[in-house]
Parts: sequence; C-alpha cells; structure tokens
Amino acid sequence: MLLDLSEEHKEHLAFLPQVDSAVVAEFGRIAVEFLRRGSNPKIYEGAARKLNVSSETVQHGVEGLTYLLTESSKLMISELDFQDSVFVLGFSEELNKLLLQLYLDNRKEIRTILNELTPDLPTYHSLEWRLDVQLASRSLRQQIKPAVTFKLHLNHNGDHNTKVLQTDPATLLHLVQQLEQALEEMKTNHCRRVVRNIK
Amino acid sequence: MELSESVQRGFQTLADPGSFDSNAFALLLRAAFQSLLDAQADEAVLDHPDLKHIDPVVLKHCHAAAATYILEAGKHRADKSTLSTYLEDCKFDRERIELFCTEYQNNKNSLESLLESIGRSLPHITDVSWRLEYQIKTNQLHKMYRPAYLVTLNVENSDSQSYPEISFSCNMEQLQDLVGKLKDASKSLERATQL
Repeated sequence: MLLDLSEEHKEHLAFLPQVDSAVVAEFGRIAVEFLRRGSNPKIYEGAARKLNVSSETVQHGVEGLTYLLTESSKLMISELDFQDSVFVLGFSEELNKLLLQLYLDNRKEIRTILNELTPDLPTYHSLEWRLDVQLASRSLRQQIKPAVTFKLHLNHNGDHNTKVLQTDPATLLHLVQQLEQALEEMKTNHCRRVVRNIK
Repeated sequence: MELSESVQRGFQTLADPGSFDSNAFALLLRAAFQSLLDAQADEAVLDHPDLKHIDPVVLKHCHAAAATYILEAGKHRADKSTLSTYLEDCKFDRERIELFCTEYQNNKNSLESLLESIGRSLPHITDVSWRLEYQIKTNQLHKMYRPAYLVTLNVENSDSQSYPEISFSCNMEQLQDLVGKLKDASKSLERATQL
C-alpha cells in the first residue's frame, strides 16, 4: 500500500532536501519528541534563525515529516511501500535512506503513542484485596459475616481511578470461575483459527 | 437491652387480661410480627374485628411497644430466658409468656435476616460478564491484531438501591493478573475458614 501525499504535504516536505542530513535527522528527532510531549513553537524559531529561513518553513517541514511518519506507522506499511511512496518526492538516494531509517527506528514507539488515542474504556491496572469478617452492626450483634474487600485500580485517559468494592465468598468463587472461562476461550480452536488467519 | 418506659407501660397493658383477652393478645402479637417481617403488611394489620373493642390509641401503643421489644430482642439475639425474665417483670402470665416465646422462635430467622440486611456497606459485586474481542484496526492505528477482554462488574449499592456497572478493558496478561489475585483471595478465605 502506498502513501497518498497531498500537494500541500509535498510542498512542506520540499524543504527537506534544502538542508543537510544532519538537520533532517534533527527534524526527525523533534517530530517524535513532539508526538511524545506535544509541540513547542520556540524550537521552530531557534532552528529558523540558524538555518536562515522563516519559522513557518521549519514548522511545515517538521509537520510534514511528522505526518509522513505517523501515517506510515499507522498503516504499518512495508519498507518497500515506504520507499516507493517517498520516491515520488524526487529526493536524493541519501535522503530517502535517511527517511526510511527514521521510519523503521521510530515506528514501534509511534504506534504505541497512536494506540493511546483510541476511544478507550478504563483499563485494568491492578487489584488489592482484603478479607474482612463483620462481627456486629448497629442493627444486629454477634454476627460472623465474611466478606472480601477490593481496591480496583483502573487507568483512563492518563487518570488513575480506584474503586473500592466488596463481595461475599460465594460470589468470589463465581467471579473466579467466570473469568477463568474467559481466559480459556483464547485457547479454543475457534479463537486460534481466527488469530492464525486474520493478519 | 435498653427499653423505654413507654415500652414497659405498653407491655404492662398487654399483660392485663382486662385490657387484652387471650384472643386479642394473640392477634396483637401476630400483628406485631407481621408488620415487621411481612413486606406487604400495611396499617390494616390492626383492623381485626376481635380488636375493634379496644381503644385505638391503646392498641397502637401496645402494638408499637411489642414491635420495639421484638426488634431490640432480635438485635441483641436474646434467648428464651432473657425474654421470659422481662415478660415476668411486666406481669405476664405463664401462658402469654409461652405464646410470646413460641412466636418469637418461629420468626427468629426472618427477624435476624431483616436486621442483618439493614445498614451501610460498600458497593457489592453481584456478578461479572465478559467479552473477548480481536482488535483489528481503529481510525488511528491499523493492523493491530490482538485479543482484548472487556469485563463488566455488576454492582449493588446498599443505600441508593442503584445498580451501577463498572466496565474496563484488559489484555490477556492483565486478566491473568486479575484472576490470579482473585484466586489468592479465595484460597486465603478457605484457609481462614479452616482455622
């Protein structure tokens, strides 16, 4: 699958051959850093002054590179497809090699970052538990009522939530049984076949 | 057990054959247990023809006294001798004491269940459902190809009678971690019950 680059995108990338490889590599590093932490316009100004161009040009160059890397990572395109996609830009062999290397080096991390953008439910983080026995309450004395208290830690959009919950011994056994069945499902022939064949 | 003067006076009236004959006493006693334990009971529980001859104010007072005493006895898990002693002090005759104790014994389990269920507690997990999916792509990321679980815990809130759900997703490792921890809790519980 080839990348579809718009005219505007190609224009932005046209800046790259005008600087040396060290600069392109630096732009690549800035692009990934911006994906990790968010963009920082001051960096553009510093680079613009050093290269003697407008900061807008630098910004477009970095953004173009970012888009190239994220689209390629998102689609997980092969080396060959990447090279063919970049070929249409008419860059030098050296620059093409550099861009390919940037893609391959950063692909895994970019995919991890993109994964965090998916519409998400809270995800499981961990579980703490405690055994309690209720001995009395305001309305009834001399009880022996066992219970298990949980603190469920969840992550949601970067926030850490905890929920404190309780259950009785019978329900606990039921929970274990049900969730063990869930785990067993992955080992069935049906699931194995799906995993093997959908790639 | 701390009982107010009002309860004591109510019982003294109940003990008096002049105010409550045997039949009326038995009916009032049954009515007291009924209004506490029968979810469908209403005010009409005292509307029996054999109780009509008694002054309604007295009837209500004695009914309330009996109900209060029954709850206190249930709360403190009173035994037969405690009940007998108190009733003797209120001048009940042998026959009425026996009747009271028998009725109490018959209703003891329901009474204790009711009292046990009253009170605040943490949200209580009642059930779990799960879904296994195979993630293929999102608009941000293609070619994912990995299994994921969606787990929903059904939860009951004691005070608000609400039934919120807690849902979360997890991968295989995380679910294994969760199940492992639940099994630890479960084994711990087993060991504790054998001590």
